[in-house]
Amino acid sequence: MTGNLTIRTRAEGETVVVYVGGYLNSLLGEEVERVVRERFDSGVRRVLLHFGETRLVNSIGISFVIGIVEKVMEREGRMAFCEVSRINRDLFQVTGLSKYVPSFETEKDALEYLAGGT
Amino acid sequence: MAGVRLFGTMGAEASFREEDFFGREEELSALMRAATEGARGIGSSFMIYGPPNIGKTSLLLKLAHDLRSSPGDGGPPRPFPFYFSFSQILSHPLALSQHFLQEFLLQLLRFLGDPQPAAFDPETMCDRLATYGFTGCREILAAHTKYTSAGDGLSALVNALSFPFAAGGDLFYPVFLFDDFQYTGKLQSIPDGAMLSILRPYIKSGHYPMLLSGSSPGRVTASLKREGLFGTFQMLEVGGLSPEASLRLWGHLCERRRVGIPAPLLPRASERLGRIPVYQRMLVEEMFFRNVRVDDAVGLENLYALSVTEGKLNRYWREFFENTFPDRLRRGRAIRFLKRVLCDRFPLDTVEGALSLLSASAAEGEEILSAFEFKGLMKADLDQLTFVGDPVLADFLFWAFERGVLGKGGSQVASSIVQARLSQAAPEPGQGVEHARRVATVKEMMRKWDPREVPLLLFDYRRFRDKFGGKGLLEVVIGMERETARVRLPKITSVSTGYRAHRGGPRFDFDLVAYGFLEGDFSEQNLVLWAVDVVAEKNLAARGVEHFENRCRLLALEKGLPAERLRKWMILEETTDPAAMDLASQYGIHLSHPTQLRLFLNLFGLEELEREPEGPRPPAGAAPAGEKPLEYELVLPMKADSEVVAARVAESVAAFASVDPDTVDRIKMAVIEACINAFEHSASASGKVRLRYLLTPEKIELFVQDDGMGFRAGKTPEESKRNRGWGLKLIRELVDDVEISTGPEGTVVRMVKFLAPGPGDPGPEPQGDGATPPAEGR
Repeated sequence: MTGNLTIRTRAEGETVVVYVGGYLNSLLGEEVERVVRERFDSGVRRVLLHFGETRLVNSIGISFVIGIVEKVMEREGRMAFCEVSRINRDLFQVTGLSKYVPSFETEKDALEYLAGGT
Repeated sequence: MAGVRLFGTMGAEASFREEDFFGREEELSALMRAATEGARGIGSSFMIYGPPNIGKTSLLLKLAHDLRSSPGDGGPPRPFPFYFSFSQILSHPLALSQHFLQEFLLQLLRFLGDPQPAAFDPETMCDRLATYGFTGCREILAAHTKYTSAGDGLSALVNALSFPFAAGGDLFYPVFLFDDFQYTGKLQSIPDGAMLSILRPYIKSGHYPMLLSGSSPGRVTASLKREGLFGTFQMLEVGGLSPEASLRLWGHLCERRRVGIPAPLLPRASERLGRIPVYQRMLVEEMFFRNVRVDDAVGLENLYALSVTEGKLNRYWREFFENTFPDRLRRGRAIRFLKRVLCDRFPLDTVEGALSLLSASAAEGEEILSAFEFKGLMKADLDQLTFVGDPVLADFLFWAFERGVLGKGGSQVASSIVQARLSQAAPEPGQGVEHARRVATVKEMMRKWDPREVPLLLFDYRRFRDKFGGKGLLEVVIGMERETARVRLPKITSVSTGYRAHRGGPRFDFDLVAYGFLEGDFSEQNLVLWAVDVVAEKNLAARGVEHFENRCRLLALEKGLPAERLRKWMILEETTDPAAMDLASQYGIHLSHPTQLRLFLNLFGLEELEREPEGPRPPAGAAPAGEKPLEYELVLPMKADSEVVAARVAESVAAFASVDPDTVDRIKMAVIEACINAFEHSASASGKVRLRYLLTPEKIELFVQDDGMGFRAGKTPEESKRNRGWGLKLIRELVDDVEISTGPEGTVVRMVKFLAPGPGDPGPEPQGDGATPPAEGR
């Protein structure tokens, strides 16, 4: 089941788009965190987590996302989510994530948000 | 106007196979009479109507064939059947008139015995016609060219349509067979009904046999009424074949494809398809291409259900709806509406009622109804709506609804369809305390199974009896140990009792259904199902075996399992008929006698239970009276990602209750969180977590049990630092009730999700940023 570890990234202008595929558990959460940290270290300040291909999320996976959000905020970066399923939107709300990171229906909307303003 | 023959008519004629035509004797005889009366200058008019693909075109083409091949009274004038099919493509009057002229010239030349012209050049055809003594053709063409250049579609149409009426003579008289006539109401820049206005004088003259056919009688009859022609027409409705003709058609189709359906099943097969020839053809093709045999009623029902959910019958109607409603949303609306009417028998016969049920804007609703009418799925007379009663369409709509709206899998829908058809045949399953006790014994044993080999004789009553009949127990035990023919048992992960294949439908229970994995490897390829019945009757008869086999096939269909991965096992009460044994052997059903069962139990250190046992740990919530809950159990190792298996089982259980996808997601998440908590905090010695899923119509109850020290309800400081410890909070948001009980034997988390709004149901919406504390569970 570790085959669920699917993650891919793409640079769009100054933003890194991270596609989180499969089951967002501790393994995948760690991987997402590592990828984002590496990009941050190389100067990227805008992060879009794309949940369109995420089938399941557990609380450990969410804890990693919270960790990522904290780091991005610490370093005054900018972050957004897109294509979040209804259940995951609810979970983000319960954990308070949605207060800090806006979610968008489409990747395009999210990229526009990240590209605008500081 | 040299042209290429493009459209419809030739296609319809080419695809018609006279040898495939069966039945319709009465209709043919009435139409034949009307056509041959033309010889005496008497022209009757018929309006032939019926649902799409019922066989209207075949009827016209068969008539044309018969008219061409029968000499009538022997001498001239002979009937010249002129078949023309209108179509959506020919909606421009210039294109239509040109094609109409070409078609007429070609068919007339063929009728007169002219060899097939090399090019479809109308002028050459006119010259050929002149050699048979028909003049005036060139003039018609010249006029047509003039109108075409001027872009005068209406005049071109009048010109072309009038020609055949002037073409008769002493040698022949035309019989007009106009197909798909409803399309004449949709010509570009031509007023609705113009076609009938052009034909009106010829119809009124009463000299020309005129047979119109179409799927939209309401539209055509409205035009007929406007032209004052309605009284002139005789209405002829085309439906399914007669039972006898349908049977003859089966014989012909099966012979051609070299497939067979047992004769006693044919009437059932005919009724299943509404005796509609095109469906019969498709089902036979389905048999041929899938290379399946139909041996009995269940086989037939399974094949039908597969065809209507994923095969030819499905494709046929899917394409129909995709073409009729290219817009996806509108198509969904139309399908939902028709499903309510045809499947759920929603009482509806007025336009207002239909518009209200469609829940669309009035304009869109009217367009949808109009499309139904146009395609022949609905008749509208004086605002009274009548919908087509097509059984295959109804099943297709059921599939489309279950799949599209409820998100069910194809095989699940197929099994529902089969089940609904077979319900009458199902005898009541055996009940009673004694029966329940034996079922519980077998269940307990199966839960202890592991991938070991046991003597095959334990499952083979006939061989067991032949070998050990009349021998003492010791002798039997020793004999069994020497048995070399062995069978490998799977590792059982879950055994459900009172398994029911479809909630809310007729009962199709097994006493036990066990999920197991060969070689103990939890992969899809290794999954096997064991369906078990503990026979309640003292003597097992062939009928009981038949019924069990039917249910097994339904289960395999529902699970999409190949036959070899469904194991079938019946445990006798006392005796069995030889016929039942033969049948069981034929179907590959294992049979075990109570003596064999005792030996089997012994292998696992068990004895038959003395009293009705309770579950390993009964849930706190009792099942509602009168409704036996659907129950699943699952034991999982505490290792990474095992919780996904638990979530998948939860999803399967929820699917039986037609739960909406959002609720399914919530149930899955809650199960995942409870499992993770058990994995992380229980410090369990056994390293296992036991799950139970109980489903009733009102609720789904989930029990996650470990043998460890308890559930971590709050966050430890370390967890807070790592943003962890959300489990219980999430569970409380995801389900309607949570109860955690910890005792010396471990911890049980009981979660309840109400499936219908009930007391205390807070609804699925979260309560906002987690700021509002959820209801206390303990």
